[in-house]
Amino acid sequence: MTTEDSRAQYMASGASEGGESHERLDLIRDVLSTDSTWAEPPPQVADGLLAALAVEAVPGPAVIQQRSGRWALVLAGAGGLVAIAALVLGTMNVIEDEGDNVVAMSGTELEAAALGEAEFGPNEAGWWIRLDVTGLPPAPEGSYYEGWVWSDDGEGVSIGTFHLRGEDTPIVLWSGVPLADYPSIWVTLESEDDGPEASELIVMKGRISQIPEA
Amino acid sequence: MDREVLERFRLGDEAAVKAVYDRFGGPVFALSMSILGEHGLAADATQQTFIKAWRAASTYDAGRSFAPWIYAIARRTAIDLYRKRARVIVSEDVDVVSFPIGLETVWEVFEVRSALDRLPDEERQVIKMSHFDGLTHVEIAERLDIPVGTVKSRSHRAHQRLIEMLKHVEEA
Repeated sequence: MTTEDSRAQYMASGASEGGESHERLDLIRDVLSTDSTWAEPPPQVADGLLAALAVEAVPGPAVIQQRSGRWALVLAGAGGLVAIAALVLGTMNVIEDEGDNVVAMSGTELEAAALGEAEFGPNEAGWWIRLDVTGLPPAPEGSYYEGWVWSDDGEGVSIGTFHLRGEDTPIVLWSGVPLADYPSIWVTLESEDDGPEASELIVMKGRISQIPEA
Repeated sequence: MDREVLERFRLGDEAAVKAVYDRFGGPVFALSMSILGEHGLAADATQQTFIKAWRAASTYDAGRSFAPWIYAIARRTAIDLYRKRARVIVSEDVDVVSFPIGLETVWEVFEVRSALDRLPDEERQVIKMSHFDGLTHVEIAERLDIPVGTVKSRSHRAHQRLIEMLKHVEEA
């Protein structure tokens, strides 16, 4: 029996003829027996990835980052999000869409100079949303911008992140939830040290008034 | 991984990204699971990993091994997600985030899964039934309705291949 044969046999059985132990092979055997090692990614991962890439019209990489399906669901009831929703829906001017799947986006008082559009359209995995913004400064180091779609019931879903620090235009985001049910589009400023829920720092907003059939 | 595919990946080619995902999606997901321990979060981390890789593809040197490059992105992405999640759970008064319990063996998980995904399906199946399901050769033979001798030969070949593919892990 060759050395390799004996090691293969040890990996298979955990025992050797001479009784010696093989610490690293034991570790590999442990890894072979764990759930994580055999776990299969759900098909939504590939779907979401391809959907995100598919909407990129420009050659080469650009920014797209997506929390897909169930992963993205963030309940607005937690923390101050209900208050945020009430504030936004109650006191801020809501910019309606301009037709042809284009929504006007406006800066809030936090970024009053920000202006732009959100173009959107269906794809196999949901909706792509392309942001074209001006006047929004690069997110400071340690922070990033996050796009959200919100329902009128105050439920928000992340549609991706970007930071505008040089290499990430166009901004293409992706929603796995129907825009008809989540018609408000927000952009928040998030800290890298914070949790996945939306911050209270809403910097841009827009609202879709009519959703075409997907 | 085919060098031509990696070169196209480096240029941001979508089909190449898909090919890379088909090859490394499993190892990245396994790594993410070992750190995050939850399917939804691991799926999120996996998708973010490939999007980050695509965004950074122009920085990849196609002359070098791809696995360590995507491994580094995957590990960082999963740990970042773990930290963000940990901060959600921990009280606002306590800004202490422990390391994920699976962090010590995350490289081994990535490498072992990479090797498993390169095995022929029938050999991979026997390895899984033996190590993960804990079945004997006789039990595997009954489940698969094949002779015990066939199970033994597949198992032997599979373990030999694993020993060869995981030599660097064994010697680390």
